[in-house]
Amino acid sequence: MVLAAADGTGTALTAEATPAATGPMAALTGRLRGSRRRPPRVTPSRSGRKTRRAGWLMVAPTIAHIGLWTLIPVIATFALSLTDYSVFDAPAWIGLDNYIEIINDPAFRKATWNTIVYTFWTVPVSMAIAVVIAVMLNQKLRLQNWYRAAFFLPQVTATVAIAMVWLWMFNPQTGLVNGILAVVGIPGQAWLVDPEWALWAVILVGVWQGIGMKMLIYIAALQNIDENLYEAASLDGASAVRKFFAITLPMLKPATFFVFVISIIGAFQVFDQVYVLTDGGPANATTMMTYEVYRAAFQDFRMGLACAQSVLLFAFLLVMTLISRRATRGDEE
Amino acid sequence: MSSRTSRTRRGAAGLTAALALTLGACSAGGDAGGGGDAAPGEVSGDITLLTPIYEGTEGQRLLEDELLPQFYEQYPDVTVTVDYTTYGQLNEKLTTAVASGLIPDVMMMGVGWIEGFADRGILANLSEDAGYTQADLEEDYAPQIVEAGMWEESVYALPIMLDTRVGVARMDLLAEAGYDHTPTSWEELREMAIALTERDASGTLQRTGFDIMSTDLRQGFETMFFSSGGSLFNEDFTEPTFNSPEGVETLQFLVDLVNTDGVEDIGFTSTDAEVNPLLNGRAAMGIAHNSLWTQAEEAAPDVMEHLQPFTIPGEVPGMFFGGTMASVAAGSDHPEAAQALTEFLASPDAALAANEQRGNVPALTELLDSDYVQGNVMVQFAMENLDVAQREGGPPAWLEIRGDIKPAIEAALLQQQTPQEALDTLAAGAQAAIDR
Repeated sequence: MVLAAADGTGTALTAEATPAATGPMAALTGRLRGSRRRPPRVTPSRSGRKTRRAGWLMVAPTIAHIGLWTLIPVIATFALSLTDYSVFDAPAWIGLDNYIEIINDPAFRKATWNTIVYTFWTVPVSMAIAVVIAVMLNQKLRLQNWYRAAFFLPQVTATVAIAMVWLWMFNPQTGLVNGILAVVGIPGQAWLVDPEWALWAVILVGVWQGIGMKMLIYIAALQNIDENLYEAASLDGASAVRKFFAITLPMLKPATFFVFVISIIGAFQVFDQVYVLTDGGPANATTMMTYEVYRAAFQDFRMGLACAQSVLLFAFLLVMTLISRRATRGDEE
Repeated sequence: MSSRTSRTRRGAAGLTAALALTLGACSAGGDAGGGGDAAPGEVSGDITLLTPIYEGTEGQRLLEDELLPQFYEQYPDVTVTVDYTTYGQLNEKLTTAVASGLIPDVMMMGVGWIEGFADRGILANLSEDAGYTQADLEEDYAPQIVEAGMWEESVYALPIMLDTRVGVARMDLLAEAGYDHTPTSWEELREMAIALTERDASGTLQRTGFDIMSTDLRQGFETMFFSSGGSLFNEDFTEPTFNSPEGVETLQFLVDLVNTDGVEDIGFTSTDAEVNPLLNGRAAMGIAHNSLWTQAEEAAPDVMEHLQPFTIPGEVPGMFFGGTMASVAAGSDHPEAAQALTEFLASPDAALAANEQRGNVPALTELLDSDYVQGNVMVQFAMENLDVAQREGGPPAWLEIRGDIKPAIEAALLQQQTPQEALDTLAAGAQAAIDR
């Protein structure tokens, strides 16, 4: 029976054929019951084979691209994470030593915590601001497109350029931030060199930069909401705030989950603004997981360690994505 | 950063890099073809130059419009493709170059870098290939500068320019406070720094008596540390010694200046400040780079006469030097052409032009008498005191170690750790890197 089930002919015995099965056999037949019955193999016609060949030919570049640029590097990353590899010498197998070192490394622990804090604040805050801006820009405003472009501009501007502007704004002596605070009598801060403030400064830049893309997705989602819902609510006397919470937000739920997932992935991969604004300092106050990967790979020449750090970052993102997918499953169904 | 690499070569480089990176196959192998005895007319080949200097429009113009044409006159059958980068990105360039197997024929890199790359077989042994000896080079350079280009008693790089860090005082501000000389000891440095520090009624710092934050904290610490008589490593570079009593005393001195004496506040200035605080009167003394003079010529010519460089007065005079050296790739397909370019870039005329463009200190002793050096107080002072200058580096793992020094200094200055704890942690990491 097992052979029959495994021979691929589609003639496996099912539970109906073995009603008296018990124990392991019952489990097996249960599995078989759940399995799909394979259709009889049909020899494709000549034109069918031609179509199939054409199909494979068309997807071949994509498969080659994914294989060469994604699959092989991913496999290589996992493999190299188990080696002592400095680029200059051949990789040497060291098992889980890199992972043990990472776990015991206070700088990487600090980086992990900073990344979590950064994600915790940038993702929900920028999402909340983005949805409000999206709703406002979805009204029939004059110069609506200009406003949308203005809010989206940070998304399409090089982060390094943005960070340079923020670098000036955070300058303790000549920066705009302290200048504004001085006008209202609040003492300025050394935003990027004071460990109390440096991470918050990086978070502020992250929130600001992340609004554009989220806003764009929300505007697209808002335009798919049926106007009749708002008309009906208006007839019932609902206020604008009530309509926002009772109609807009619930209808944006699929978009919100999508934005949430891509925002978390983006936040965990934050690098550019840290690289330009703080260099991970002061005293590792703003170092992030990606920054530690960079440091291990390009400052310390420890590619094996950097690969192990990348694998851990990947694991973090995988868990977050799975949690998000689980949360959205009901919605998708 | 820009590149003149041809499209064909880039394509091939990309493909090779991809294969090398994805498959993890890397090798820096290859034997250096020997000999620097060929006549200029017999030397030929297309070679690449990776350089963190000559950056910016001015630097690029100097190299491509002035220096390389001179080189081509001498070596008409050699063509040079220049890959410009910065010191901040040099590591990345070299790492990817090694991983891809496309190592530039000539590489310019910093003091402290040579040991690591020579140890790993990336650099050509110029003693073997071109006959350079330590004794020969010491006729033209100070011994410690020659040592910076050596590994295991062989020459691997030729010095071109030096970056020095020394103490600098604004003598007009010192005179206002009643001082007519630069400090003669750490104690006097501290006393003067306190006296020269100014805060407004609200306590906001207006002028620091001794600025340590406009220069890289690692290099600033090392400048002070060298003056304490300490050294970064033991003689054979197998153990870090920066957590020695001298190291702890140095870091404690800096911590006290900031946290006890209030001589400088965290964030008062930084390495990317547009104008050095010594030039705009926000610092009365400080540790500064030799390019301060060039900055002063552009930004504050009226204070130039008041700038007085001094070696940090400790157990020994303290002065730090880094710099840029030229080396040849061990696997170069055209070693003679690469050696010719290296020698040309290190030659007096080319080195002088490069130093003048960056406001740096020529490594060649004979250039002390040049108009450029004699007209630049900071550079002249540095050259006249090179005998007391000390460098960082030593073990092949230095590039891995040096990145951890700044966070350790910051942790102490921010009082997250005591100087002893910060340096002990740093030393433990350094020892692990050396032992790896």
